[in-house]
Parts: sequence; C-alpha cells; structure tokens
Amino acid sequence: MEIGIGHYLTVGAILFTLGIFGIFLNRKNVIIILMSVELMLLAVNINLVGFSAFLNDLVGQVFAMFILTVAAAEAAIGLAILVVYFRNRGTIAVEDINLMKG
Amino acid sequence: MEQLLLSYLPILIFIGLVVVVGIALMAGSFIIAKQEPDAEKLSTYECGFEPFTDTRGRFDVRFYLVAILFIIFDLEVAFLFPWAVSLGEIGVFGFWSMVVFLGVLTVGFIYEWKKGALEWE
Amino acid sequence: MIVQAIAFYLFAAIIIASAVMVIAARNPVHSVLFLILAFFNAAGLFVLVGAEFLAMIMVIVYVGAVAVLFLFVVMMLDINFVELRQGFLNYLPVGALIGLILMIELIFVLTAGTVTPVVPAATGAPIPAIGQVTNTEALGAVLYTRYIYLFQASGMILFVAMIGAIVLTLRSRDGVRRQDAGKQTGRTRAESVEVRKVAPGGGV
Repeated sequence: MEIGIGHYLTVGAILFTLGIFGIFLNRKNVIIILMSVELMLLAVNINLVGFSAFLNDLVGQVFAMFILTVAAAEAAIGLAILVVYFRNRGTIAVEDINLMKG
Repeated sequence: MEQLLLSYLPILIFIGLVVVVGIALMAGSFIIAKQEPDAEKLSTYECGFEPFTDTRGRFDVRFYLVAILFIIFDLEVAFLFPWAVSLGEIGVFGFWSMVVFLGVLTVGFIYEWKKGALEWE
Repeated sequence: MIVQAIAFYLFAAIIIASAVMVIAARNPVHSVLFLILAFFNAAGLFVLVGAEFLAMIMVIVYVGAVAVLFLFVVMMLDINFVELRQGFLNYLPVGALIGLILMIELIFVLTAGTVTPVVPAATGAPIPAIGQVTNTEALGAVLYTRYIYLFQASGMILFVAMIGAIVLTLRSRDGVRRQDAGKQTGRTRAESVEVRKVAPGGGV
C-alpha cells in the first residue's frame, strides 16, 4: 500500500493522455481544447511535484510554480483571442479559422 | 511527513462530513417529500408572470477584461507570499529581485490605468 | 499510512473521472465545473506529498481565477454548442488510437526507467525537514535568488499577458460621458457663475 513515485507518474500519464484525447475529440470547440491543454499542464505539474517529493528536491516545486504562471497567462490570452475572434466572425469553430490559408 | 498530514486530517474529515450531509439532505427530500411534478410546477417562477428573458443571460465583455486583470494580479500576490515568509533568509538580493518584478508589473498597471481599462463608463 | 494510501487513490480516481467528464460532457459549463473538481483533487494530491504551498496556490489561482475565466467565456459568448459537437464520434477512433499509442509509450517509459534518489541529491535544492522550515519558506529561499532569471521571466510573461489582454479586448466606445473628478473640482468661479444686473421688470 506504500504510495511511491510510480503512482504519481501513472496519474500524470493518464491525465496527459486524456488531454490529448480531448483535443482530438472536441476538434471544433476551442474552449474545450483550451481546457484540455490545462489538463495536460496539470499532468505535468503532478509529475514535477511527484519527482520533487520523492527525490527530495525542491526544484520541481519551483518549476511547477512557473508552469502555473504560464498556464494562467496562456488561458487569459487564449480566451482573449477567442473573444475577439467571436466578436469579429460570430463563430469559434476551429475549421472556420482559415483566414491565413493560402 | 506524518505530522504534516495529521494536521490536514480535520480538513479531510470535514470534507467527508460535508459530502455525507449534502447527500443525506438531498436524498432525504427525495425520499420523504411527495414528488408530483407537472409542467406548471416545473416552469420558471418570476413573481407570477412569464419570465421576460432567459435566466442565463450573456455577460458584457468588460467583465472578462476585469477577470483577466484579476488573474494577473492574483499570480503576483501568489509570488509575494513565499517572499514575505523567507525575506530574512534571502537578504537584500531577494528583496531587490522582488522589487524589479513588482516594478515590471507596475508599468503594466500604469498602462492599463492610462488606457482606461479600469473605468466602467 | 493506510489513510494516506486511501486518500491518494480517492483523489486520483476523482481526478481521472472528472478529466474524462471534462472532455466528454455535453454542456461546456459542466466541463468547466469538472475542471474545477479535477484541480481541487490535484491540490489534495499535492498536500499528500508535502507540497502545501503549491496546493493552496492551485486552489487560489486555478479554481479562483482561471476556471472563473473559462466560465465567463462560456456564458458570455452566444454559441451553439450542439453544432460544435457534431463529428464527435467521427473523431473518436483517431483520437482513441493516438491516445492509446501515447499511453503505451508512457507505460514503456515508466516501466523501463528506475528512479534512484541518489543522483540529483548532489545538484538540486534538498527539501528541508518539515519540522524546521515550512514548505512556503523553503520555496521562497530558492525562488527569488537561485532562480531569479526564471522569476523575472515569469514577471515579463504576466506583463505581456496584461498588455495583450488590454490590447485585444478593450474597445473605446463613442458617445460615453465620463466623470472627471479633477475637472469638476478644478472649475473656477469665473467660468461657472455669472452675475448679471437685471433691470426691474425687464427680465434677462
């Protein structure tokens, strides 16, 4: 019953896979895609904290802190772009975002 | 480690208690009360007349901008906590490190103030 | 020890179940709420290994701010979500295939490598014993001095996010009359009041 690092890495791996899966599953809805990206970053954070605890090294937690910052900034900017896009085009479907296609 | 987790035990017990009480209340009202729903009973009630608009109205975009700015400053405060706790250890260098960080964000704050992002109209 | 193991399995199971619901829920509002649940339980996992500060920041930043931002956007935009879900089942096989491949690869990595706590002990910053220093203080001792470049970089990232959000979403509207307190109090008597001599019976 001893909880080791393998347990934490397994949770992280499953969560990361679910994030990838979610991106494929909801290919039209940008909001869910952004949420899936957040799930993947959470998986990375779980890995970092798990390693940090079981290797007795604080650096993992420091980096998890920075990832938290980047994730929040990414969500803010991503959703801002989404809002502006919706205001201009009236849709958020991914396949309609093709203005830069040659 | 054991000591640390023991200090969190009351929270765990509390969460368990909340779940039990919540489920008990919902299940209790479900079992004991008489359930005879019909269309009139389930319709939205708004002071005796038909509701004018959808309950889940749309927000104004300006709320969104306020929420984004809140996140930024929320993270800034999150970085302040460990700094405040360990200031005696990290000395002058750590102090000025945080002052530069705060300075950068203050520039952003002045920008949003001058742009009028904080005004409501 | 047994309580710890039970708590771990409980938190892990709820995280994974709510992650499944995030990507599979019909209503995006439900997705956001399940995302919040996942973050809460991740905070529980962090507490279990002693990363207290990160757990609390997780709750404050993610549940308090990021999830609310997602909720705002979902409720603010008038989107036909049923339409966006079309083709959900078409993408299922490809997504499942890629997810499965990734999962198998990750399992290979997890089972092939062994983690020995000896190697990084020489280079990293060891976690002090909990009795001496709290987790928050230990983090602060390295965050602002040894990792100052990353710390300043995250400050710049926040700065750019702030500017970007304002540039993207702020619109100045025409015909809006603002209150200007300085202008109000700065008015002088000469420009606001005029005394005129009125002849009796003459009117102004």
